Amino acid sequence: MNWILPEGASLGFEGLAAPLRIIRGLGGGTQGQVYEVELEGERLALKWYLPACIARDAGLERRLAASIRATAPNDAFLWPIALLRASPASRPLIRIREESFGYLMPLRPPAYVGASEHAAGRLAIGLRQVLRACFGLADAFHALHLAGLCYKDVSLGNLFLEPGGGGILICDNDNVAVDGAEPGAVLGTPGFMAPEVLLGQARPGADSDLFSLAVLLFRLLTRHDPLKGQMELAIRCLDEPARRRLCGEDPVFIFDPVDARNRPDPIEHAAALITWPIYPRPLQALFEQTFCRGMKQPSRRALTGQWKQELARTLDQRSLCPACGQENFQAAGAPALCWSCGSPLPQPITLALPRGPVLAAPDNELHPHHFDALVGEDLRRPLARVVAHPQDPRRLGLCNLSAAAWSAEAADGRSWPVGPGESCSLAALIRILTPAGPIAVQRPIPPAPAA
Amino acid sequence: MPFPDVKLANRPLHFLYLCDCSGSMAASGKMQALNQAIRQSLPGMAAVARDNPEARVLVRAVSFADRAAWHIETPTPVDQLEWRDLQAGGITAMGAALQLVAAALQTPPMEVRALPPVLVLISDGQPTDDFAAGLEALRRVPWAQKAVRLAIALGHDADLEVLQRFIGSEPATAGRSPRRPLQAGNATSLAQYIQWASTAVVGAASMPASRVSETPLEPAAGNIPLPDLPPTVLDPTDDVGPVVW
Repeated sequence: MNWILPEGASLGFEGLAAPLRIIRGLGGGTQGQVYEVELEGERLALKWYLPACIARDAGLERRLAASIRATAPNDAFLWPIALLRASPASRPLIRIREESFGYLMPLRPPAYVGASEHAAGRLAIGLRQVLRACFGLADAFHALHLAGLCYKDVSLGNLFLEPGGGGILICDNDNVAVDGAEPGAVLGTPGFMAPEVLLGQARPGADSDLFSLAVLLFRLLTRHDPLKGQMELAIRCLDEPARRRLCGEDPVFIFDPVDARNRPDPIEHAAALITWPIYPRPLQALFEQTFCRGMKQPSRRALTGQWKQELARTLDQRSLCPACGQENFQAAGAPALCWSCGSPLPQPITLALPRGPVLAAPDNELHPHHFDALVGEDLRRPLARVVAHPQDPRRLGLCNLSAAAWSAEAADGRSWPVGPGESCSLAALIRILTPAGPIAVQRPIPPAPAA
Repeated sequence: MPFPDVKLANRPLHFLYLCDCSGSMAASGKMQALNQAIRQSLPGMAAVARDNPEARVLVRAVSFADRAAWHIETPTPVDQLEWRDLQAGGITAMGAALQLVAAALQTPPMEVRALPPVLVLISDGQPTDDFAAGLEALRRVPWAQKAVRLAIALGHDADLEVLQRFIGSEPATAGRSPRRPLQAGNATSLAQYIQWASTAVVGAASMPASRVSETPLEPAAGNIPLPDLPPTVLDPTDDVGPVVW
């Protein structure tokens, strides 16, 4: 890579009191180059634009300045911190003749890897983590849209995943603008663009974000593209005109309940056929809403709040197959077979909460939104987590992650305090009283009445 | 538990180098510079291939001098590619090289479904055989019509008109355009163009890049919109004198 900024050098920038040390180049693309930098002992990232990119996008500098003033909608965004132009003294050190600028943003921690690693199947990640990442993505867009902003260019390329916990980070926030404000230069990435934007009938905005978000969620959950079915197989050379037909002129969802022209091929598109049935019907319905009616009617697409709700509910329905250990998502009360090994799934212990049930499976969590109708879905501050007993993993307990003590009640009326950090066995209890609200422990076979 | 073991469906992306190995390439270290440029570009190309799981990037190379021959005949995944040095010597059988590539782009052996192939022709001189017949053979093959065709002219003696005919018609817009032969005047710019073709262009052909409103979305823009050429980075090593052709 030919680095525009000299690695190892300290450069002065207008508006920065201290010099910025360019530690190393991290990567480059057609827009610009990204560097790891140090400012007064803090490691940050610097994106430096290529002159051609600046020339194409007249509103870029103004948009960045507005984003910097507005601050990040939530902590999932690697949001611009400061706009930088080289000071006159440092100008000759920048190895490019044309005037250019860049912006500072937080540095991506090394545990976060590009989402394309998951798409390619090279990432060790579980269904729970993928669903958590999907929730994080919906949550981030929810915060962005509520702030009146839109992202415009959602794709796998600007999403990073932390496979251990399912955390996400969103980069390339330089197209973010007030929804419906002056059109920026970017249209989006083909394959993720809403049909009306691809066809040039609309500019990208919050409605087209909803389409792109659904594509990205579908790709994370299924490792497949929502529009690549039989109609894609009929295309010999997948070039621009072909993509335009497939994604713009005649887009058909591969699982459209009515239009069967674009069904997945059992061999070529096996990923979609294997993964789609894993997910609960209400989650599938949001994809159908966005990719069927919402395909041509942007206002009918599933909203970020709906995605958050269904993704959180899906996580609440997570159970483990006793035969193979694979993660399943079980609707309450319905008999089901494991999607992976086909074994019948027993009804697990259910934690009945004021705002819906949560199945007792290791790592499932209770959050404030399970107790309080006025709190939006949020996975960042769990109050409790289902844990397996360290000696006997078949025995499940509930760990108190909150700062206050609980009171755990058995069927015979005895009760025990459960302090912060302590766990109580679910086998013995019928109810747990917490400051957030009551937790009723429901077992599939009610205990025999006392003699 | 792990995510279901399912793979994203992908399509092959054939990338072909057509390398001039005539005797004049031996002068001023041009052959060595080309070998170096290609070898140095491979890690970046492998990274782009990794980042584009929808594409299976497969590389081949043809060399031409007294005759045209496969330098790498088997379509090879880029991360498994080892670049053996090309040797200079002979005349410029460019037409024969086009015939060879035309035959390789027939279906079969080409897959029924693929991404647009990328053809990169690198030359420092004039063809000495029947270039027109070779070009005609290539033009008749549908996969060659769909291909992204790039040409790099080495030094001042390259036949720009011939290279332009390989690429296709010149665009109406003036300025530096990938739809014209790229003129590499020294080893640094050669390396830059090779890197651009093997990374930015491969990326654009495998998974579409983010689009800006200036990029026409009409099909008339060609079957793959080409990314910007690399910026002219002021190279401090220019002062110490790279090979100037």
